[in-house]
Amino acid sequence: MGGKYDVIGGRARRVDAVDKATGKAIYAEDLRFVGELHGALLQSPLPHARVLNIDTSRALKLPGVKAVITHKDVPATRYGVSPARYDETVFAIDRVRYVGDEVAAVAAVDLETALEAIELIKVDYEPLPHVLTVDEALAPGAPQLHDEYPGNLCAEVHQEFGDLAAGFAQCDLIHEHKFVNKRQDGGFIEPQHSIAVYDHTGQLTLYSSTQVPHYVQRTLSMVTGVPIGKVRVVKPYVGGGFGPKAEANPLDLCASFLAMRTGKPVRMGYTRAQVFLHSRARHQFFHTMKTGFKKDGTIVALAHQCHLEGGAYSSFGIATVYYAGSLLGGPYRMKHMSYDGYRVYTNKPACGAQRGHGCVAARACFEQQLDIVAKQLDLDPIEMRLKNIMENGDVTCNHMSMSSLGMKECIQAVQTGSDWQEKRGKLPPGRGIGMASGFFVSGAGYPIYRSDTFHCTVTIKVQEDGGTVLVKTGAAEIGQGSDTTMAMIAAEAIGIPLEAVRLVSGDTDYGVDLGAYSSRTTLMTGHATKEAGLAVKETVLTALAQELGIERQRLDLKKGLVQISGEPVDFSALRTKYIKEHRGWTDHPDGEQLTFTEAARVAFLKHGTIVGTGKYKPPVLGGLHKGAAVGTSPAYGCSAQVAEVSVDLETGQIKVERITDAHDCGQAINLTSVEAQMEGSVSMGLGETMFEEVKFDKDGRVLNPSLGEYHIPTVLDMPEMKCIVVETGEPNGPFGAKEVGEGAIMPTIPAILNAVHDAIGVAIDELPLTPERVLKALAQAKQG
Amino acid sequence: MKKLAITLVVNDTEHELLVAPNRTLAQVLREDLGLTGTKQGCQVGDCGSCTVLLDDEPVNSCLVLAAQVTGRRVRTIEGVADGNRLHPIQEAMVEHGAIQCGFCSPGMILSAKSLLEKNPDPSNGDIRQALSGNLCRCTGYQKIVEAVADAAQKMGRA
Amino acid sequence: MLLPRFEYHRPARLDEALAILAQHQGQAAVLAGGTDLLVGMKHKLMKPAHVVGLEALEGFGQIQEQEGMLLLGPMLTASALAGEPGVRARATALALGAGVLGSPQVRNRATVGGNVCNARPAADMCVPLLALGATALLQSAHGAREVPLSEFFLGPGRTVRTPGELLCGVKLPAGGPGVGSGYQKLGLRQALEIALVNVAAFVALEDDGQTVKTARVALGAVAPTPILSPGAEAALTGQVISEELIRQAAQAAAADARPIDDHRGSADFRRQEVLVLTRRALQQAWQAARQD
Repeated sequence: MGGKYDVIGGRARRVDAVDKATGKAIYAEDLRFVGELHGALLQSPLPHARVLNIDTSRALKLPGVKAVITHKDVPATRYGVSPARYDETVFAIDRVRYVGDEVAAVAAVDLETALEAIELIKVDYEPLPHVLTVDEALAPGAPQLHDEYPGNLCAEVHQEFGDLAAGFAQCDLIHEHKFVNKRQDGGFIEPQHSIAVYDHTGQLTLYSSTQVPHYVQRTLSMVTGVPIGKVRVVKPYVGGGFGPKAEANPLDLCASFLAMRTGKPVRMGYTRAQVFLHSRARHQFFHTMKTGFKKDGTIVALAHQCHLEGGAYSSFGIATVYYAGSLLGGPYRMKHMSYDGYRVYTNKPACGAQRGHGCVAARACFEQQLDIVAKQLDLDPIEMRLKNIMENGDVTCNHMSMSSLGMKECIQAVQTGSDWQEKRGKLPPGRGIGMASGFFVSGAGYPIYRSDTFHCTVTIKVQEDGGTVLVKTGAAEIGQGSDTTMAMIAAEAIGIPLEAVRLVSGDTDYGVDLGAYSSRTTLMTGHATKEAGLAVKETVLTALAQELGIERQRLDLKKGLVQISGEPVDFSALRTKYIKEHRGWTDHPDGEQLTFTEAARVAFLKHGTIVGTGKYKPPVLGGLHKGAAVGTSPAYGCSAQVAEVSVDLETGQIKVERITDAHDCGQAINLTSVEAQMEGSVSMGLGETMFEEVKFDKDGRVLNPSLGEYHIPTVLDMPEMKCIVVETGEPNGPFGAKEVGEGAIMPTIPAILNAVHDAIGVAIDELPLTPERVLKALAQAKQG
Repeated sequence: MKKLAITLVVNDTEHELLVAPNRTLAQVLREDLGLTGTKQGCQVGDCGSCTVLLDDEPVNSCLVLAAQVTGRRVRTIEGVADGNRLHPIQEAMVEHGAIQCGFCSPGMILSAKSLLEKNPDPSNGDIRQALSGNLCRCTGYQKIVEAVADAAQKMGRA
Repeated sequence: MLLPRFEYHRPARLDEALAILAQHQGQAAVLAGGTDLLVGMKHKLMKPAHVVGLEALEGFGQIQEQEGMLLLGPMLTASALAGEPGVRARATALALGAGVLGSPQVRNRATVGGNVCNARPAADMCVPLLALGATALLQSAHGAREVPLSEFFLGPGRTVRTPGELLCGVKLPAGGPGVGSGYQKLGLRQALEIALVNVAAFVALEDDGQTVKTARVALGAVAPTPILSPGAEAALTGQVISEELIRQAAQAAAADARPIDDHRGSADFRRQEVLVLTRRALQQAWQAARQD
């Protein structure tokens, strides 16, 4: 520790870690309610069909069944993530659009009965032709998913910044490159689980494994019709989210309707296979990038097209299709850029947001292209990047402002940290080294619904008798460490030790917080927490100054002790009074300085309960073009990584040997957590590069809906990682802090791709890098 | 379906239970004994989050019938710490920041415990082998491996 | 995910177990480690009315060595086999296969009997056992029979075992001087992985230390069951072993493979890997045979 801060910047033990290490931490499935019922879902077995009739009579007659609901029993209200594309209903009304689409739900006395009842529901379907790929969906005469969105086009984007034609005219070299990733799954270890409780006063409380209690609350209110003031969403501990848990899901809605209907608590959980059916994870992106360079490696212009295979509903997709283009505006200076993006409906589970939302495949494509062009121009890929790199204060051609950007520092850190100079070009056949960069938002500049709302509010209450404070925030701890981060920020702002802070979070009763997505919590909720902490400090010290009869400015708090500047002040009367109040206690303050405990007591005796509040919303950001909101952020975090690989040239098997990773997080709040986010990002990126792909059969059924056949990395697949934390001090961040959770995944895929390129002499433009794909690439290379 | 009377010694306490034969050890631990520290991530042996020690060996409790293991010793995450004193592995996991969402942590800790009981001085490779049945999506495993190595060292010194 | 309902039997003696199987012909599933059966039952692929657990049967978890043969009890776990020095030395490929099956937790439950009876095409213990020349020992209420593993598997999940029969052991020749075996597995991940292709090789040399007396190459994930490669066997037998001979045998094995295209990999890819893995497995086996 040390430096300018007392609490932040060091390595703190996470406030939730002991509970999680001992099995005491409660997740949604661990909750128990007296008299609770078990719910189950009936999901479509067909990818596309008309629903002719639903007969629930046999299910209703099964002993133990308490309710069976279909579209006839719930409002037809359309919902979704973006109000611009509300295209979902709780249950299919006339049509199912993917294998897994919700048709009915049951509540029964136990799960066995509920599942049996599901099998007794008879649905008459009239199968419709279906589309599973972008090409099928866009073909003339293709079956249509949504009447409102003809051509199966969920959303399209057309943007141009600068003057593309003029840009290309200046170029010495123009390179066109295509790249495709695969549909991913979030791979969080805790499947979604929801429990709804509806009481006699009309209060609906939902306990859900969610990243976004606030949005779930709004959706529940909108769809159920329960006034929002009577909807409370509580997020217990969550076993990972990574994006797919950032929206109200069918369990949240169905459990709520079933609880309202039966008057009993209703729990519903996904099996692992259902997690795959719900999806809302990373899209498949088909990128084509035509990029123009000058001989010296200067990047001049980019013409970019992308098609997203979106699945049956929009989910986050509108934001995704914008993100896939907008974050190519940096971190390299480039004056001319065009983007044409299309998100396409298919009869598959809906894709949504996943770590590095919309950007990782685009980043992989672009960074791979940079390496290819560097080779053609005979430039070192690092030197070429440094030549184009943005710095603090730069603004991208699409109007995103880099208020701080330690991109150059990150690149130089991994260059040194990986011994790049000693290795690049000097490794034996089958071994390779590659690098890449990337950056990401520190919180979306705007909420998902159009609003002037604060993005977060925080309340800090000073406990009435003593030296601890209670932080209340709606922020969602989903594993990333936000509870600890907020507790540390509160402690730092007030001037007390971390141990003096208690924190409750993840409950819509505690205030507005948009939730854990777009890497927003540290910066945004951090701002609100800091503001609330400073308010507490101000109230306490003002009261103390009055009591001591001195000026407020003479007082400060540090590490829980009151600092008094200038002449010594006699506070013995105050201390005596405190001790008298606590006769019989053994922990009387006896040091030479007044404590926060005493000061807080003085404030309470003067004013009653002391509460500080904080709030945050970003300033107006970005340009005026259509879609300008997506990609704007008060700050951007950035990363560079170097990957080293060895390739078995006979089997095609790749081993990632080492990753050197540097990330600019502005200012680390908890250094350990920053590294932890970096390492976790690498593992998700590595999984997507090497193994991960959700596969479907011709009837739209997921072929590998399990963690056995959808391969996320095991400990044996992970390389040694060296993490270097870069701190540039973000002017728009609380104490200079900005994101780490998603920027850190950006370089992983292209760094590995570029290392493999270095190892085998071929750039592979399709993920994942299975042995089969590598062998094919090697064979093609051999043929010339 | 005839229920069966079984005996399980869970965390050193003997329990006599009447269970339906189709209930797994994970279900009985979580539902009958309230030991919800045992997590269920996949229920088919793919993720390791339900890992418990069966006579000191890690197993996926989702793929063990409670009736199958009558008379045997089971250790769950609730039986690892000594009251409020954490086991050195738990302590190291907390200290090293090896816990994020925490859903894999109970299983991970039990796998590590079994390893260190058999092999007090494991190599990095030994640790990775021992944890290779416990999936974690948050950490990239590095801090977990460091924590287990550190715990081994501290336990060796104690 | 719930298991379907069933009656559970926990026989303590073999005759009791055989009687239960005889009584519930076709209605009873045998439960060894449960890592396969319970998964199938949770997925509702099987709904046996009766489940017969073998955990209480005496002697089913033992290894015996008699007259140059290893006799493996069906309840021996993959962990036990992978760690047992006798198996590592005398049936190396089996120890290697058992050691990379699933994960530590799975290996602590999965048994050799279960692995053999489940007859998955890529089973990590079946492929080595086939190469090692193992025989399945079956018993029913009416008698006993021995079936070489090369005749045991019929298709994915299907074997010659009748519903009334119980696999009571697996018998294989114990390796010794001049004998070696090897195992190669290719998967995406390094753990929790079903092989894309797996190959086991067995080589026994004449006393001259260079002429191949017996050789077997078993291939996994390239046919509906684990298969032996007759071509590889023919290429090797009676010849002086060399890198070149091994290459020829590997080519013969690739020719014997009958892979199909599926979502895990194409037939061409699998055949290509058979070539590489067979070569490596044979090199391993040769080296082990020379070391003894």
